[in-house]
Amino acid sequence: MERKYTILAVLMIVLALGLVVLPKKKEMKEADPKTLLSAITEKSRFLSVDLVTHRIIENDPTLLLIDLRPADQFKAFALPGSINIQPDSLLSVTTLELLNQPGKDKILYANSDLTAEKAWLLATRYSVDRLYILKGGLNEWYNTIIKPGEISTAASSTELDLISFRNAARQHFTGAGQTTNEPVAKKAPEKVKVVRKPPEAASGGGC
Amino acid sequence: MKKIKNDGSFYLNPYLGGVILGTVLLLSFYISGRGLGASGAVKNTVAATVNVIAPQHVEKSAYYSQFAGGDKEPMSNWLVYEVLGVLAGAFISGIVFNRLKLKVEHSPKITSRRRLLFALAGGLVFGFGAQLARGCTSGAALSGMAVLSFGGYITMVAIFGTAFVVAWILRKNWI
Amino acid sequence: MIGPIISSGIVSPAWDNIFAVLLGMGFGFALESSGFSSSRKIIGTFFGYDFVVVKVFFTAAIVASMGLLYLSYFGLVDYSLLYIQPTFLTSAIVGGIIMGIGFSMGGFCPGTSLCAAAVGRIDGLVFFGGMFIGVFLFSESFSLFENMFYSGSQGAKMINEAFGISPELFTFFLVLAAVGMFFGAAWVQKKVKKVEY
Repeated sequence: MERKYTILAVLMIVLALGLVVLPKKKEMKEADPKTLLSAITEKSRFLSVDLVTHRIIENDPTLLLIDLRPADQFKAFALPGSINIQPDSLLSVTTLELLNQPGKDKILYANSDLTAEKAWLLATRYSVDRLYILKGGLNEWYNTIIKPGEISTAASSTELDLISFRNAARQHFTGAGQTTNEPVAKKAPEKVKVVRKPPEAASGGGC
Repeated sequence: MKKIKNDGSFYLNPYLGGVILGTVLLLSFYISGRGLGASGAVKNTVAATVNVIAPQHVEKSAYYSQFAGGDKEPMSNWLVYEVLGVLAGAFISGIVFNRLKLKVEHSPKITSRRRLLFALAGGLVFGFGAQLARGCTSGAALSGMAVLSFGGYITMVAIFGTAFVVAWILRKNWI
Repeated sequence: MIGPIISSGIVSPAWDNIFAVLLGMGFGFALESSGFSSSRKIIGTFFGYDFVVVKVFFTAAIVASMGLLYLSYFGLVDYSLLYIQPTFLTSAIVGGIIMGIGFSMGGFCPGTSLCAAAVGRIDGLVFFGGMFIGVFLFSESFSLFENMFYSGSQGAKMINEAFGISPELFTFFLVLAAVGMFFGAAWVQKKVKKVEY
């Protein structure tokens, strides 16, 4: 056999061997610690109850509310349009796909901040972006929006604006103070679209 | 190293040809996420033609309706365009290597007519099998091997194993 | 750019068909220039006088499969987005056998018959024409084969799974096998009596 071919054959075998001995890369890309630290020290991941309420009422399409509480609590009450994800399935492939879909601000909430913080940290490590936390969780939301607040006589105009906004929001969510007793219809959770385009199975590709 | 067939034509070194083909195949996956193919284009053309002649038949058929009928456009399909490219590329190669010649290539021991009859029958049989196996040597076997598809390898082995046996049965046609 | 570049949206899908033509041209050129427009060259593998099919086919297979695995390793290709032919065991085997018969009757496969037709070989054209009839017959008689067509489904199974080894290890063995075949082919070709073709 000619020498040229022997060399080529050896080259191929070496290349193939290379594939076998190369160390396996990890599946998920993790954010490096420095990036994570700067993300943690920034406070901008907290969104106020008022801001989120405003966006809910406006039917902001970029809003994706994620409820981290147990399923029975979610069924009893949840913010309109929110979806329920259990914290222990946060890093599953389907959840991460959901979190990674483009064009959405993901807002984590639970009863208070604790669970949401943990979830935020984990997901940010896996490079999920546009991820936020509802400051104070549902407890804060309830205290601010649902429970009627007291108007102090020394309130400034901005505070009064805020209070009237919250009153309007209360009406929107609970129908309290309206003439009819119809509860506000719950917005059905949006069908979430997964990022990746599936291979062309439908067109029978591959002939 | 030149490989010269008895007709004096120049053929590329097969290993070089293989590397080129492998690279094209690789690019196909890199660009479009799929491999090359050929029989799929035939299937789409048949479905499209039948759709023009008898649209209701297409709609009712469990097979045709997967690719034609309604507002599906079987001819505007990746494979159909690719096949057009194949024709063009082969034609260019024929010009470059001076192989353009209208003829029926056959063993000197048989007639042209016999060769053409077997070509027709062979094509018919092959077309049938390609539908069953969802691919041909290019689509199922070659592209399948590129992504280590189990089905692709099975089909490849089935094709070449059978072809070997049948070639010897029909050796009078060839040598 | 991470491939496949059309699926991941880096290049707009409108380019898909343009690339199809270009890739097809590369395919056709590679096939024809290697000699696949000649049915007697193709059949030569089975009689030992011309192993061009083995050499081209397996070289392409190892180049492409190694290439994809390397690209995947360096993060240049998302392997999970590549189209992997799904396995339907029964129809893969039966269809393959039928194709094998057609192959040795006609001396072509669809791709090579196109190349042959493109350079004026009438037998290639006739083979390709015969395919239309075959496809038509299958489509019309589909109900007879429907069960077989859908049976034995194993999804997009990869061959290394069947052996319980990693894709890289399988490819390594494939390369060894291919190289072995190339040397074997050269040896056989020397021993076989000369055939006029």
